[in-house]
Amino acid sequence: MNTRKPRFYPGRSPRIANTRRGFLQLSAAALSGAVLSNCARNLADVSSEDSTSGSAAADGGTLNVYSWANYHDQELLDSFQAKTGIEVIVDTYDSNETMLAKMQAGGGSAYSIIYPSDYMVTQMIEFDMLTTLDKSRLVGLENLRSQWQDPVYDPGSAHSVAAVWGTTGFVYNPDNLGTTLTGWDYFWENGGSLNRQITLLNDVREVMGGVLHSLGYSYNSEDPAEIEEAYNRLVELKPAIANFITNGWEDQVSSGDVLVSMAFSVDALSLVAENPDIEYVIPETGSSLWTDAMVIPKSAPNPDAAYEWINFLLVPENAASSVERLRFATPNEVAYDQLSDELKADTKLFPPQDLLDRCEGIAPVSEEATELYDQYWTQLTST
Amino acid sequence: MSTSTPTPSVVPAKTSPGWQRKLSHLLGPLALLGPPGVWLLLLLVVPTLLILQLSFVPGIRPGQPMDGFGLGNYLNIFQPIYLQVIWRSVFFALGSTVLTLLLGFPVAYWIALMAPKRWQNLLLVGFILPLWTSSLLRAYAWITILRPTGVLNSFLSTLGLPTLDLLNRSGAVFIGMSYSFLPYMVLVLYASLEKLDRRLLEAAADLGASAPQTFWKVTVPQTLPGIAAGCLLVFIASLGDFVVPELLGGASSMTVSRLIYNQFLGATRNWGLGSSLSMVLILAVSISIALLIRYGDRDPESFS
Repeated sequence: MNTRKPRFYPGRSPRIANTRRGFLQLSAAALSGAVLSNCARNLADVSSEDSTSGSAAADGGTLNVYSWANYHDQELLDSFQAKTGIEVIVDTYDSNETMLAKMQAGGGSAYSIIYPSDYMVTQMIEFDMLTTLDKSRLVGLENLRSQWQDPVYDPGSAHSVAAVWGTTGFVYNPDNLGTTLTGWDYFWENGGSLNRQITLLNDVREVMGGVLHSLGYSYNSEDPAEIEEAYNRLVELKPAIANFITNGWEDQVSSGDVLVSMAFSVDALSLVAENPDIEYVIPETGSSLWTDAMVIPKSAPNPDAAYEWINFLLVPENAASSVERLRFATPNEVAYDQLSDELKADTKLFPPQDLLDRCEGIAPVSEEATELYDQYWTQLTST
Repeated sequence: MSTSTPTPSVVPAKTSPGWQRKLSHLLGPLALLGPPGVWLLLLLVVPTLLILQLSFVPGIRPGQPMDGFGLGNYLNIFQPIYLQVIWRSVFFALGSTVLTLLLGFPVAYWIALMAPKRWQNLLLVGFILPLWTSSLLRAYAWITILRPTGVLNSFLSTLGLPTLDLLNRSGAVFIGMSYSFLPYMVLVLYASLEKLDRRLLEAAADLGASAPQTFWKVTVPQTLPGIAAGCLLVFIASLGDFVVPELLGGASSMTVSRLIYNQFLGATRNWGLGSSLSMVLILAVSISIALLIRYGDRDPESFS
């Protein structure tokens, strides 16, 4: 670093100067190390986490699951391990697009089970990324409700087994908001007073679709004029939006830092179970109705364990006990029948049929429409 | 912070056979530089070249075949929306640089020139200490401090002062970034101030210069290389920072690094655009580093 000739420093003994220089060199080394590691982390933010799970996958006794947060807890993983001897490692993602990008970039080769949502199952089938399931190895498929035995997103359920379904709505504390929320319209009617106090999902199709639906259009609109209208509505709402986050709003809603958070029912209802002051509301005009299904990617290193996992979760008792703890809606009819009456009567978890009829599933849209959605989303989040 | 590669001087000895001598001379550097060289080649050069290649395929999305060649992705950057994002990143980086310089210089000055000698190392270690925890954790800590019902506002309201609304806007990004990069600035400035020739300070005082005059005409010129190095280091680091704007900046704080992330792994996937943005960012950082090497490590005496 310093190539100058040593110089005499008045009032300083050479011994101290030496140790000082030594210290300085050390700290400079430490500093550059920190800077470099920082760069590396920034550039390869996500891939750093698969290197760990990747190494674990080499072992035959592990199953790497790539899933949404809140679908599994330690109790479930422990009971699976107790029954099969397979250790499960769960990594989570917070949007289908993130998961797809990681799988396509080759960063997800460790995973044998993934939980894509309905429209993403269709897309992954189109990309030829999913194993066609060997139905002879699956036990208990007939327990699923008929609509999930032959879902529109995966005819004949050939590549996927429905695991969780739910709605998308808003989480809020009525005391903090001072009123009862019924749907999207509230935000525009009160936009001025909501200064950065709502959070929306970090999810293009859910947010754009939610607004489209509130305007009376389809979640899956491909009409540029309709999409633009929804975009303009969101731009109008921008000053009220604190952030676009899928996870991490729980604390902020509980504390009152944020008045309303858009959330998936699974995450919302787990918070409601913990904090009775919080309410979850499905917009009365309807919301998205989503299904997350278990699939085995073609790159799965341990498909045998993946079949074991699917079979384990198809056992009604296992599905029912997960629902009791994790508060997601199960497509398993036999498991539903085993739930406590309190849960069965929970209209937030299992909405009444007339509300479900107003809901709509998100389906893949054409490439042009996808680009349009992405373009508006980038503009919305960049301004 | 230039790292000059130690190459042994090859002295052509007329009496020895040429190629064997040359080979033995090459062996040392090869053994020393080989492993890190392979590392850099595989993990830095090759990925960068891949991104460069992607950046010339217009609008490529994951899952699509790599065909076509053109500058479409680079032209795309000139859309107002992306220019705005780039400008915002530069603005955040410049602001943090100025803040860290203003905050860091007095600290470094005090540690280097005024603090008791035996405390200096301890004080410096104290300043580096926060770097030992993850920057992600430190950003989360700032959320806890800055949020409306957070530590800062509880403290202010107990004192009867009005509360501050800082989180999820630009102010929080500046706070978070200048906090993150302050140690770098202090260390670099300390290294520069520690080399300060105090005889010149005494001479200035003897010749009747006031304290501010001495500071601006003697201290600052002598430490200019350190200031330049510190500023560029902080600028580069904050230009590429992802964590702080993502966590503290809220809905209107898109920066280049976040935009790149979104194009590769986020909600809106356009690898072509992401690649061209990456190349522009790499270029900007490379220019900064070139400036750093050119001006950052000059002999202080040439400025005095």
